[in-house]
Amino acid sequence: MRLKVSPRLFAVVAVALGVLYMVVANWGGNPLSLKNIATFLVVGIALGGIYAILASGLVVTYATTGIFNFAHAAIGCFLAFTYWQFSVNWGWPVPISMAVVLLVIAPAIGIGLDRLIMRRLRDATLVVQLMVTVGLMLAFMGITLTIWKPTTGRTLPQFFRGSSGVQIGDVTATWHRIITVAVAIGIAVGLRWLLYRTRLGISMRAVVDSRSLAGLTGAKPARVSGASWALGCMTAGVAGILIAPETGLVVENLALLIVVAAAAAAIGQLKSLPWTIAGGLIIGLSKAFAGVFLSFDQNWTYASEAIPAVILFIALLFLPQARLETGKAKLTKRTERLTKPWEALLGSGVVFGLVFIWAQGWIPWFGTMFGTRSDVWLGRAAGFMVLGVITLSLVPLIGWAGQVSFANFAIAGIGAVLFSHFGGQNGDPIGILLVMLVCAPLGLLVALPALRLKGLYLALATLAFAEFADKVIVRHPNMLDPSATGTLFEPLRIFGFQISTNVGDRQAFVVFITLIFSLFMLGFMLMRRTRFARRWIAMSDSPAASATIGVNLTVQKMLVFALSGAVAGFAGCMLGLSSGALRVDSFPLFAGLPLVLLLAVQGVRYPIAAFMAVLGLASFPAINEMLGKPSWLTAIELIGPGLAAIGMAFRPEGAVFYAGRDLAGLLPWRKDARLEKQLLVARTRQENIKKDEINDLGLTRPFTPDKVSQLDRVLNVADELDEHPLVATRGNGSGRGQHSGNGHGRVPAATTEVLG
Amino acid sequence: MSALLTTNDVVVRFGVLQAVSHASLEVEPGRVTGLIGPNGAGKTTLFNVITGLQEPTQGRVVLDGVDITQKSPFKRARLGVARTFQKLEAFSSLSALENVLVAAEQRRAWDKTKFDPAAVATEMLDRVGIGDVADFMVGTLPTGTARLVELARALATNPKVLLLDEPSSGLNEEETEEMAVLLRRLVADGLAVLLVEHDMSFVMGTCEYIYVLDFGQVIATGSPAQVQQDPKVQAAYLGTLPEEVSA
Repeated sequence: MRLKVSPRLFAVVAVALGVLYMVVANWGGNPLSLKNIATFLVVGIALGGIYAILASGLVVTYATTGIFNFAHAAIGCFLAFTYWQFSVNWGWPVPISMAVVLLVIAPAIGIGLDRLIMRRLRDATLVVQLMVTVGLMLAFMGITLTIWKPTTGRTLPQFFRGSSGVQIGDVTATWHRIITVAVAIGIAVGLRWLLYRTRLGISMRAVVDSRSLAGLTGAKPARVSGASWALGCMTAGVAGILIAPETGLVVENLALLIVVAAAAAAIGQLKSLPWTIAGGLIIGLSKAFAGVFLSFDQNWTYASEAIPAVILFIALLFLPQARLETGKAKLTKRTERLTKPWEALLGSGVVFGLVFIWAQGWIPWFGTMFGTRSDVWLGRAAGFMVLGVITLSLVPLIGWAGQVSFANFAIAGIGAVLFSHFGGQNGDPIGILLVMLVCAPLGLLVALPALRLKGLYLALATLAFAEFADKVIVRHPNMLDPSATGTLFEPLRIFGFQISTNVGDRQAFVVFITLIFSLFMLGFMLMRRTRFARRWIAMSDSPAASATIGVNLTVQKMLVFALSGAVAGFAGCMLGLSSGALRVDSFPLFAGLPLVLLLAVQGVRYPIAAFMAVLGLASFPAINEMLGKPSWLTAIELIGPGLAAIGMAFRPEGAVFYAGRDLAGLLPWRKDARLEKQLLVARTRQENIKKDEINDLGLTRPFTPDKVSQLDRVLNVADELDEHPLVATRGNGSGRGQHSGNGHGRVPAATTEVLG
Repeated sequence: MSALLTTNDVVVRFGVLQAVSHASLEVEPGRVTGLIGPNGAGKTTLFNVITGLQEPTQGRVVLDGVDITQKSPFKRARLGVARTFQKLEAFSSLSALENVLVAAEQRRAWDKTKFDPAAVATEMLDRVGIGDVADFMVGTLPTGTARLVELARALATNPKVLLLDEPSSGLNEEETEEMAVLLRRLVADGLAVLLVEHDMSFVMGTCEYIYVLDFGQVIATGSPAQVQQDPKVQAAYLGTLPEEVSA
């Protein structure tokens, strides 16, 4: 038992020492006077109050619907801009603007999301749930950026800006801050009252405990989920409107508050409102403490922005271990077969060939319109193929092992930075190996605090790491040249050959990186046939069953993270080479998200989907240029992947799967696919007949015993119950009903019909 | 005959609810031991305790003389505990063959004897009688067949004790009979089987010894005939109060 605790203890001590070091090293010299402490408290509590509001809405939605809304802060951002539009730009009175935004638009968004998207996600895998809400986040960011162009500065005034506020000792608490705290307390009390004193709230809490049971006792899970989404959006709106005067109306900053909300929610273990509110206050106070007492030197300029990410990390260390649950295995009904080695070779050969002939300029018919082989596009192609390799690194991780990580782009960024120190600047390839050796354990380190927790926390931890890497690691002046030109990279030299990346001579690098991409793709396609991939997929399909056949889940997760980290690190080395220079702002957190989403949309378990994802990413600037860069397309790089990912609520398996299912039969050697298709059609027809039969009965509530026995007859379960009176008496529903409903045969129900 | 697997005074408490209370079982090699009881009696919870998915509030699990109460699930698997699940836990996005292959390959981590995992996997599928669906994705198979995949997967780990959680649900009569034959053959080879089952004719036909669980407590033990005659058992199943039965 002691051994189990000590790595955690070690981590806690390490983080504590790190934080202590940062505090001591950056002590600003402000005395711990009463005035300073009072300022710290006033600022911190007000800020923490806003965070608490934001996070409590997130928790209410998550607890009642099981869906963690990554778009929560982005929705708040959109609502803050809407409020600015009404109250500032159109000059509506504050109460009216407020009422329209918070009581009309916010609930409408919430109910709309619930109806159109979220209800479909209830039984979806975690990967799909996460992709859809991250997609929603990007879509909301994109829409906000399109409507309110960031080129114009906007400010949201504080409430009662003119008046002086309240004097507390030597410190003035502005009315805005007082209102903020009052609203936060009001919302906390209001939520408590709603959840414990109203019928809706009691239904909501019942649904948290057991959706199906709550449904039986008369709570309406559908209405509850609509209400909780509406409530979530309203709190996001309140938080957005309150915080925008402090942080400015900047889309990225406001949407990034999701990390803050996630950290506070993690402190509340995603279910406890009081602890979530406490979490918000802790983060607010920490930031205020850094603001009042610390002064970060130029080495750590952005460190205070990473505070929420660090707190999220610490919170994860204190969470209790997740149990291996049974009965939650997701049943995916896919028919597909393994890619044969020669098919993998053909596929990766085609990918390489396509890019190769394009880079050589052997495809004349694109003309100057679309995807033209200009220097600009060659440069972009180089960058896109590097991103493709990073995307490939996610296939075993997310696609097979089901471990959702947003950190791989950050790891690649760190790899790029390290490569510049390991001789990459001089075009020396030996550093690549070193980088991979560092990035493999780095990938592991990121995942470590979350390995013993459920999958969602892993996604949060990796998001926090990406934020931390962006704000603290990459921006440290020892890492990259902080000037505008950045750190420069010489072209790579391998065995005396120099792979040029110079303008006008770029196709060499494009061909080189495409070759590497194809080789990685081939490698992963072949790897899917090995025991490693099988074990990871098994682990993702059912962790409990994997453990009971002897799989050490922790070791397997560590393996896949290390592999993924090493590949991402390799890609990172290419990152600097592809553009010839790296700047500190080369790796913003949001840059990687569209590719993760596009990979998921294409089919996260298939290596070829990485290439499709890159093509998808390339299509956005191409379309934009083709249409002459209209202003409504400025944010297409966000809206495009965002909307595509939202579409996964309707088609969760990915385009490669659907294309394979529907089109594989066209390949002359795929007789099996043609047969499979026939089976599918037959099965669907049979299911529809059964559905029609049930519909024809016209049964409505209340369900009398008579109606139930009618239903039993249609489903062929009537005889069953008579045979086993013992079982029937205690109403044992486990399994018996499945008996005939799924057909007696061992082969899928439709097989006999078609084959026989 | 000494017991291969024993649970000793196991208690599992969820808040105020005592899901399993002071349950002591002995599972002996070479025979099928039945564990029956109405819904919610704590059968599956006890399975989870034995396989390490649920930490008991109190009590011990002993395998072959070794206390495994504190061991993690994968270590117990390596010591010879295998199971199937009441609610399907098959690897639904792998083919039937791959499902079993994962288990056979994993066995290499502790089994030093030489064997070919692919051959073992094929053999196990044939053994449970589903060799014809080897290449089908398990998610597309009917529930009963997927259960047999789980069984083949459990067998591929070469267990000493096999825990089956309602293996016959989803099977038709003929298949249930085949399952009974298979179980008899397995125990004849020296395997210890602990069976949770609601199909009474199946239980009575295959089990040599039965434990009856109600509200987490063992209320009766004995041969099928003894257990069937027990008034407490009838009361538990028919929901009649014990007083009325004795009256």
